[in-house]
Amino acid sequence: MWKKNKEQSVNPFNLKKELALAPGYLVLMTWVGFTAIILIWVIAASLSTTGDIFRGTIFEFSSGLHFENYSRVWVASNVSVYFMNSLLYAVVSCALLILVCAPYSYVLQRFKFPGSGAIKTMLAATTGVPVIMVIIPLYMIIARAGLLRDEISNRIVLIALFVATKIPYTTIFLMAYFENISRSYEEAAAIDGCHPIKAFWKIVFPMAQGGLITVTIFNFVNVWNEYFLSLLFVNSEKLRPVALGLFSMINGMQYSGDWCGLFAAVIIVFLPTFILYIALSKYIVGGLTGGVKG
Amino acid sequence: MKRNRSMVVAFALPGTLLFLVTMVYPIVRTVFMSFFSIQEITDSVDKWKFNGIENYVSLMKNSLYQASWINLAKIFLIGGVITLGISLLLAVILKNGVRGRGFFQAAIYLPNVISAVAMATMWIQYIFNPSYGFLTKFFSALHLDSLAGIQWLGGDFKFWALLISYCFGMIGHFMLIWVSGIERIGIDYYEAAAIDGANKVKQFLYITLPLLKGIFRTNIIMWSISVSGFFIWSKLFSPISADTSTVVPMVYMYDKLFGAENVDEIRRDAGIAAAVGVMLCLFIVFIFTVVNRLIKDDDLEF
Repeated sequence: MWKKNKEQSVNPFNLKKELALAPGYLVLMTWVGFTAIILIWVIAASLSTTGDIFRGTIFEFSSGLHFENYSRVWVASNVSVYFMNSLLYAVVSCALLILVCAPYSYVLQRFKFPGSGAIKTMLAATTGVPVIMVIIPLYMIIARAGLLRDEISNRIVLIALFVATKIPYTTIFLMAYFENISRSYEEAAAIDGCHPIKAFWKIVFPMAQGGLITVTIFNFVNVWNEYFLSLLFVNSEKLRPVALGLFSMINGMQYSGDWCGLFAAVIIVFLPTFILYIALSKYIVGGLTGGVKG
Repeated sequence: MKRNRSMVVAFALPGTLLFLVTMVYPIVRTVFMSFFSIQEITDSVDKWKFNGIENYVSLMKNSLYQASWINLAKIFLIGGVITLGISLLLAVILKNGVRGRGFFQAAIYLPNVISAVAMATMWIQYIFNPSYGFLTKFFSALHLDSLAGIQWLGGDFKFWALLISYCFGMIGHFMLIWVSGIERIGIDYYEAAAIDGANKVKQFLYITLPLLKGIFRTNIIMWSISVSGFFIWSKLFSPISADTSTVVPMVYMYDKLFGAENVDEIRRDAGIAAAVGVMLCLFIVFIFTVVNRLIKDDDLEF
């Protein structure tokens, strides 16, 4: 009777077995419960008032729900600007990464050509190189070229950096997916007179959909939450992404004292990746557990 | 399959060029820069002064830099034991047939998709807050007044507050990697062991652990890569200036590059900043080598 692991969870209720698992449930419940307490408290705080936060009475909502905390930080604290910036950076970077890395990863996986072995090794090695190893020379070149003075070129620089630093990871990640797609599809297409470039975009690319979605989620979450590169390369407040904007809000807290507004901003920053995660968590979990080699 | 030259060129060229220009070249140049004294990051090459290994020597002598490595070592070792240990425990519990596994898995992984700034804000402004915070309320409800009175964000406790909140977020990620490792161990091993009378603890010690060696190695290396990039958490716990209790090499490097507002000791030098980067890389290479030596692939087939 060789059962697959997954079938265990659909076993009928067995009191003895469940009791043996009780300590395990306790650990899991405590952990998840603690996470839930943090989130619920922050959501409640974001809907209450600063006075209630300090009195410890946020759950009473004695003056009602303060949704205006959200509208206030959205407009007055520039959270809308940060939000739109992050959205722009994340969407454009993710699209460019797929456009560059999908074909790149495909040829590296499928064909041997001069230097392909060396490129693969270097790509794998650079996934472990800390980002500070690349930013000093890049900052030098970019700042000297005056690219940070102009708003549009500054945005382009940021997106280019987000794309560049994620090329090794994205390419390596996608190679595992292309490996699982049989070559017979391209061979059949070639026999029918289809050009290999066309065969890739029309046949192989759609088949790698699962991998493309997974890697895009990871890239989106990473760019959305990115902090270090923006800290260095963002030259004006108007270009700040959410993480940087939130950080500057926190530092301004001692002057503004708008604590409920701060928690509302935390929720706004947190919401997009949270929703994405809830909707697509099977891709995230699958991407992490499927692609790892021991 | 026939190789199509035009396709290989068209597909490989943009990626390779971008990769060479934005990753390979800067890495080589950073190593090169680490042997020069460079006052301003934007100085042209003719203003660089070659000073051999002087950058490394002066770094080693600097007390703030030493403190940054001690903190990093503590995060790597203590944080590593906490993170890898708890994440393995959670993974083993999840794989023991609990109900609602998908939900628990997703909930524990959740902090990984949240911005570190938002996560750290929740911890600093709620959990550790001395007046209305979770820990204070929790311990005073239990009448543990000495624990309730701890100032988590000041003095000796700041580092531990930082470490706990950082590990909390990282555990979900490593848990999923452990789960994937355990998943690949056939259930027949456990059934055979159970027939022979091995209890859960013995099964864990004699089946799960030895078969997870490869994953264990990967996780240690990944942990070293994660902690070497430790920056934002430190900045959030000590926002204004580098604090000896929370400084890490990345923070030191950032201050070297752009100057710190109120730490006189830190004089700007891009060459020294580059040397910090090189040393962080060496740290990862060192961990990689040691781990590969200590945990050898043996002929376990499963």
